[in-house]
Amino acid sequence: MSVLRPFKASDMFKFNNINLDIWTETYGIGFYLSYLSRWPDLCCVQEAPSGRMMSYGTSPQRPLYTTHTHTRPYTVLGKAEGMGPEWHGHVTALTVAPEYRRLGLARKMMNLLELVSDEIYKGFFVDLYVRCANKVAIEMYEGMGYSVYRRVREYYGSLGVGKGGRDEEDAFDMRKPLSRDPNRRSVRPNGRDMIVSAHDVS
Amino acid sequence: MSTAALERQIRPIYDALDTGSNKSALVTCNKLLKKYPRNELIKALKALALVRSQKVEEALILCDEVLEVKPTSDATLTAMMHVLRGLGRHKDMVKMFEEAYKQQPLNEELGAQTFFANVRAGQWKSAQLVATRMNKQFQDDRYLYWTIICTVLQAEEPGTQPEMRNILYRLAQRLMVSSPTPSYINAERFHLHLSILLKLNLVDDAHKLLDSQVGKNICATNLSCNELRREVWKLKGLVKEEGEQAKNLITEKNDRNWLEFLSLLDGTFVELTGGEVAPSEEALEAARTNVQETKELLLRVVEKDGPKDRSGLLALLELEKRTRVHGLSDDKTRLVCLLKEYFEKIGDKACCYEDLKPYIELGSDELAQWTSFLDAVSTSFSTGKELRRLINVYKLQRYNLSEITLEAETTRATLYTEKYIEALKLGVDLPTTELQPADDLVLLAASSYVSLWKLTNDDGYLYTATALLEYALTKSKQSFLTRLMLIRIYRLLGAPAQALEHYRALPIKQVQNDTLSHFVLSRSSTFSLAATGDLTFATECLESTQIYLSNSQETGDFIIRAFTSEKYSQIPEFIIFEDRLENSLQRDLVKMEHLRMRLAHENMNSDIIDMELIELKFIFDRVHHDNRDTAILSDYQPRSSPNFNEQTLLFNTFEGFGFLRTMLKVYIRALQQGSDLDDTVEEKLLIGDRPKQRVDLASGVTLRDRLIVQPEEDLEELTQDEALLVEFASALADWLEVYHDYTRPPPAIVLAEASKQTELKTGHPLKGIEITSANGNGHKKDEESPAFVEPPEVVTSFFEDIKARFDEVKDANSPVEALHLAAVAQEAFLILIIETLRFKNQTVVKQNKLGTLVASIKTIRTNAISNLKDISTDLVKRGESEGTSEARKAFVEECSGIINAGIDHDFVLNIAKKETDARKKVLEGFGKGINRICANYTSS
Repeated sequence: MSVLRPFKASDMFKFNNINLDIWTETYGIGFYLSYLSRWPDLCCVQEAPSGRMMSYGTSPQRPLYTTHTHTRPYTVLGKAEGMGPEWHGHVTALTVAPEYRRLGLARKMMNLLELVSDEIYKGFFVDLYVRCANKVAIEMYEGMGYSVYRRVREYYGSLGVGKGGRDEEDAFDMRKPLSRDPNRRSVRPNGRDMIVSAHDVS
Repeated sequence: MSTAALERQIRPIYDALDTGSNKSALVTCNKLLKKYPRNELIKALKALALVRSQKVEEALILCDEVLEVKPTSDATLTAMMHVLRGLGRHKDMVKMFEEAYKQQPLNEELGAQTFFANVRAGQWKSAQLVATRMNKQFQDDRYLYWTIICTVLQAEEPGTQPEMRNILYRLAQRLMVSSPTPSYINAERFHLHLSILLKLNLVDDAHKLLDSQVGKNICATNLSCNELRREVWKLKGLVKEEGEQAKNLITEKNDRNWLEFLSLLDGTFVELTGGEVAPSEEALEAARTNVQETKELLLRVVEKDGPKDRSGLLALLELEKRTRVHGLSDDKTRLVCLLKEYFEKIGDKACCYEDLKPYIELGSDELAQWTSFLDAVSTSFSTGKELRRLINVYKLQRYNLSEITLEAETTRATLYTEKYIEALKLGVDLPTTELQPADDLVLLAASSYVSLWKLTNDDGYLYTATALLEYALTKSKQSFLTRLMLIRIYRLLGAPAQALEHYRALPIKQVQNDTLSHFVLSRSSTFSLAATGDLTFATECLESTQIYLSNSQETGDFIIRAFTSEKYSQIPEFIIFEDRLENSLQRDLVKMEHLRMRLAHENMNSDIIDMELIELKFIFDRVHHDNRDTAILSDYQPRSSPNFNEQTLLFNTFEGFGFLRTMLKVYIRALQQGSDLDDTVEEKLLIGDRPKQRVDLASGVTLRDRLIVQPEEDLEELTQDEALLVEFASALADWLEVYHDYTRPPPAIVLAEASKQTELKTGHPLKGIEITSANGNGHKKDEESPAFVEPPEVVTSFFEDIKARFDEVKDANSPVEALHLAAVAQEAFLILIIETLRFKNQTVVKQNKLGTLVASIKTIRTNAISNLKDISTDLVKRGESEGTSEARKAFVEECSGIINAGIDHDFVLNIAKKETDARKKVLEGFGKGINRICANYTSS
């Protein structure tokens, strides 16, 4: 439950309660402006009734808005990309402000993204990147039917918090096949062992 | 030689520029220019290399040469675009592309570039003309829409008069109608069309547009258009219809957007919103029926959603609240019942407190019921859910406390602390990257200690709060809320190094530098040791301002991208964003802090004075926006008390527009008197474009008029001692003005000197300056030198007064007040130096017969130095006392409460050591810094 409205450039002044969280990256202004200048109709904000920003997201999947069921705070930045059987929905980021966690928001948001990628964009799969160290998130995605497709070396800049080492800067590329891929060709069982460098993915 | 061969030779220049090897680019350019001395592309590239090597004067000469020949080649234009951007000459860029487009009117790309150059310069009127021309020439609807949005943007410029604005909107509307394709073929064009109709208040037309099938489809899939639709429906009085639509979305489509619930509720009370004092019985009856229906609908939602979604439950609360407002409620117990139900179902979620806040401002009977309900909730917990429930109870109880008493608050602080320690058990197995479920308890405890400090003025409570919060950070390393509280408290305690350490541990990047740097940079010159050569804070200031550079370099590109991708809804938003960041209050507050640090660090000379003067004058003309985020701080204080943010502001005040205005006036006035640059000289020496002129200033008001007024409400944002400083600076400027004006060399001489300097540097004199019979300083004066007047008392007694104020506070518990006084005294002294630098030159003094004045200034300076030295000695002494084991012991003793609660004594001792060391460092450093400044300016 929240107010769902379009994301505006000036929302960058308000997203600190979401972005100060360790798992949420604050990108340069160009990042947000580039999403807004391409898919403004797919960028939205979730606000608590008090006006406090709970989450924002962009995703190029148009009908996000027709089914406003994801009425919770999350951040999703997504796009549709790839050619042929690689055509898929990509979740660039998904995060929930700490105070609005455990409300089932992430799951709802992902359901929606999958629905849209499946029915509207006719993608073969949905994929997302997550820090190898973010165990909580990985488990959550696995619970939703995602599996690791490959490990991407040094995808994230160093977190600088010590012990985690590789796990903190490497990412798992996690995928979930959609109805167009009934034979599950877009996933594989040994994904954790498939290592690629950050240059090989874009 | 063939073009291909030339291209091959030019290639390495591009490579060098791309890799940032400007030097090697220059060498290649020079080599090639020997062979092809008239090649415009090589010249343009050389200019670019020069700009990038900060050799602006030389770049300017080449730049003008290239512009002279009116280039049209793509490569030259592109290179020049970068040169001109680097120089901030957007207007010249417009001219360059216009010339090129004029020569090749069939070149669509050049047309677009001309258009974009205008967009970059914010010249909407000329952009509109270019787009119109392009539309005629190239027959593309996109250019028509560019024309339309530029017309709208022109209307929205702050300087546009209301009548003109309307004319422009009507023009935009006519153009829209003239389009060969309807606006609804794409949502962005549709959005633009709707927004123009709304501006013209053509609600019926807008409604008609929306009422079509296409219109409905667009609104169903586009939030921005739907936002406008809501507005149109509201303006058209379609509240009932909106409510019906919302009802459908909620029940049929399971829409849980809170906006739909609000629409549903608005529709419920539509009969009563006509504004009549006494609504008719019919209306009341209709409303009662509606309320009943809505209630039933919401109950069904609650039943269907269960605990998965809280919309229905919250909407029931909102319904009850509004029912009461309209006097329709017949059940006095219902609100509390709903609150209880909400708590029972949602009480174990973190959001419960924020959700309920708007509904718990209750009358005494209901408050008693609600409180006793909360009091009865069990305070034991063994699961995360139970813990969150308890935390919500504490927060909700605290919110309604009517007053804070020492005894009860002490009990609460202890309770929160004990529960916190107990609750840590629930999170022992969490990875270090996770937040502890107990965190909110420690935030509550710290809030409580801060309240106790406010109540008693006893810093011991702040020591306890810091030790406790530091402990919490060892358990929950990523808790940014804990860090933000610590930053505030360390500053109150005069331990800036600790505050900075925590600030740096936060992942603050990019635009967050604008919204959050106030946490550590607000009045940071009070803590800066720049005078001793320690540039920590000065560097922090500079780093935080990188984002403004990115904004000016990048945002414009995205505005252009929004034009090319026809995202009309975004263009005004991007412009607003760019403007808010460009003219950010925080940006210029940091600038002021940095200026103060710079003046303390560097030796005063005319270059500093001139440069800073020009920059501050630009800033003075900005219309600022406050983007600072203070809402990010947790606030769990009772509603009867000031919030945590207000409680923990340094010196109980937060610098705002008034503070900035006042300080700018003080410095501009002082620098202007100290400088030889008058407006005519400044105009000639300026390289980039001037910022747009402010339109809200009455004509005929001079800069000086604006500088000498200090409105009362502006001064209220200053501390008592800063106000004294302003008084001192104004009196000093008033006193010295006539001598400055008499002594300042005439513009022609200043320009001749500047030209000479440029020639020495670049081999060319300054352009556009005719050197007349400049003969150094030996100009003749027509008038007698002004008679000596005694300095005003405000000036002569200032340093003694400040020293006396300093003595009052120097032994206070926290050293921040003493530091503040010392900083004010130091600043006043530096302003004195700016104001009197001119009179240090013996020749000037002799020529202008200012001997008596100089003697008088010297007396003031000697007196200032003697007082400053006393302050310096006291600060150093105080610093020494901070670094002792007694100081640490005293700190630890104050924290006995939390040590008893189970926090390790040695841990607290370590915090004590860090805190007292930080204090020692800043006190000693600042003291020594003052001493150094004194020594610097004692010699003459």
